[in-house]
Amino acid sequence: MKILIYEDGKWPLMSPLSLIKPVFELRCGFNSLFEKIVASLPEGEKGLWVRSYLQKLAGKKYNLPVNDESFLKSDLLLVNGRWLKTDGKPILSGTERVVKSGTDILYAFIKKETAGKFWNGDFEEFLQAISGNVESEERKAALLEYPWDIVRNNAAALTEDFMRTGKSGILGNFSAKAEIAGAAESVFISKKARVHPFVVIDASKGPVYVEEEAEIFPFSRIEGPCYIGRASQIMPGANIREGNSFGPVCRIGGEVETSVFHSYANKYHDGFTGHSYIGEFVNLGALTANSDLQNNYANVTVYPGGKPLATGCLKVGAFIGDHTKTSIGVLLNTGTIAGMMCNITAGGISPKYFPSFIWYLNSRFMKGYGLESMLDTAKTVMARRKREWLPEEEFAIRHVYEETAPERISLIKRNRKR
Amino acid sequence: MERAKLVEQVKKVVAEILCVDTEEIREESRFVEDMGAQSIQSLELVAAFEAEFDIEMEEDAALKVKTVGTAVDFIQKHVEGKD
Repeated sequence: MKILIYEDGKWPLMSPLSLIKPVFELRCGFNSLFEKIVASLPEGEKGLWVRSYLQKLAGKKYNLPVNDESFLKSDLLLVNGRWLKTDGKPILSGTERVVKSGTDILYAFIKKETAGKFWNGDFEEFLQAISGNVESEERKAALLEYPWDIVRNNAAALTEDFMRTGKSGILGNFSAKAEIAGAAESVFISKKARVHPFVVIDASKGPVYVEEEAEIFPFSRIEGPCYIGRASQIMPGANIREGNSFGPVCRIGGEVETSVFHSYANKYHDGFTGHSYIGEFVNLGALTANSDLQNNYANVTVYPGGKPLATGCLKVGAFIGDHTKTSIGVLLNTGTIAGMMCNITAGGISPKYFPSFIWYLNSRFMKGYGLESMLDTAKTVMARRKREWLPEEEFAIRHVYEETAPERISLIKRNRKR
Repeated sequence: MERAKLVEQVKKVVAEILCVDTEEIREESRFVEDMGAQSIQSLELVAAFEAEFDIEMEEDAALKVKTVGTAVDFIQKHVEGKD
């Protein structure tokens, strides 16, 4: 049997977080959706199916066959990459069937004869064909659609992930002047991690897991559930409230609540981030803050692509695409969506939607210095963190730049006429 | 568009964005060295020229323009191209 972890046609709903990464690369709890799914898979050759412009990048990052049609000529387990699989239970193979969550496929076992019958070269049509023609059953599961679904599920995922590791205790350098409040068995400090004096780790409402080489500087308070990723730093005086995940190599200061920082993200200074997902290589300038609750306590509406979309959630923060930067003092509105590689400078309460690659300066949308300049900056930033610049990633970024140009240019032109 | 008229319009935009007197602006005036334009103001200048003359300026080329005179030449080409 072969196994395909795939993106379905709903990947755009995860924009801007998903613009240059497959949806299963997004993080929730301790790690990515991909890592959680893989932990539950049976034996079998694994492969990926992603949108075409990410094919080479995914192949490079995951070292697995990508969009390989030969998979569809075998008995096949298909697993939806949007599945937040936190229970760790194995996906048991068995009779041919499609398991659905709502109207979407969660996973499916398909015989090679059936796959051959319905495969016409279009993966989305293939999914629809097996969904409509193969015996199916319903299962309640977290199949994430929107960025705020990740944030909403993060605290529970953190607790489940902690329990699944089975780890607890202090292996690393934990100052005698640091304190643990709550149950000590709900804390794990890795061997090469360091916790400085006058840090309080409060595990009374959830576990706290500190990865290798992570460092928590003095006068910080870390409230569980919380995951601090490899080589991430919690800056002095940080107020880390419940439900946060910090991926590898993040630097986090100020106040943060119920948020996911993907990896290599910087929020070095004071300022509030709440109910947000912050992409890779994002830099939030000093005193950048986001609202995550409206003054009328109504559920938050977001504006992806400039069009209103009800989230059904009371608390919704900001969703910021990879490589975007904010200046000092930026005030992000409740439910802000900022695309990738934007430059956002302070100018009162910001708009709720920023198309990718746009500059926001003196409360106006502008083109900025152009793509080449932005790529140069990204290369510099990545080199500083010893991350390799992949030509496949550049290809994906250029693709997204072209794809997003019409809405960006249209907004800039409309803005001129104000 | 007549060049002299274009020069006056460009000077007006430059004066407004960089907060300098129109009389102090010459065609050979350099945005950065002579008028103290900061990097972010160069973006504002490009946006203001686009709005004033209803043109599209390609980012990389526009940001290579260093003086008022070359800005006038650059804009004149775009304005004539539009006509």
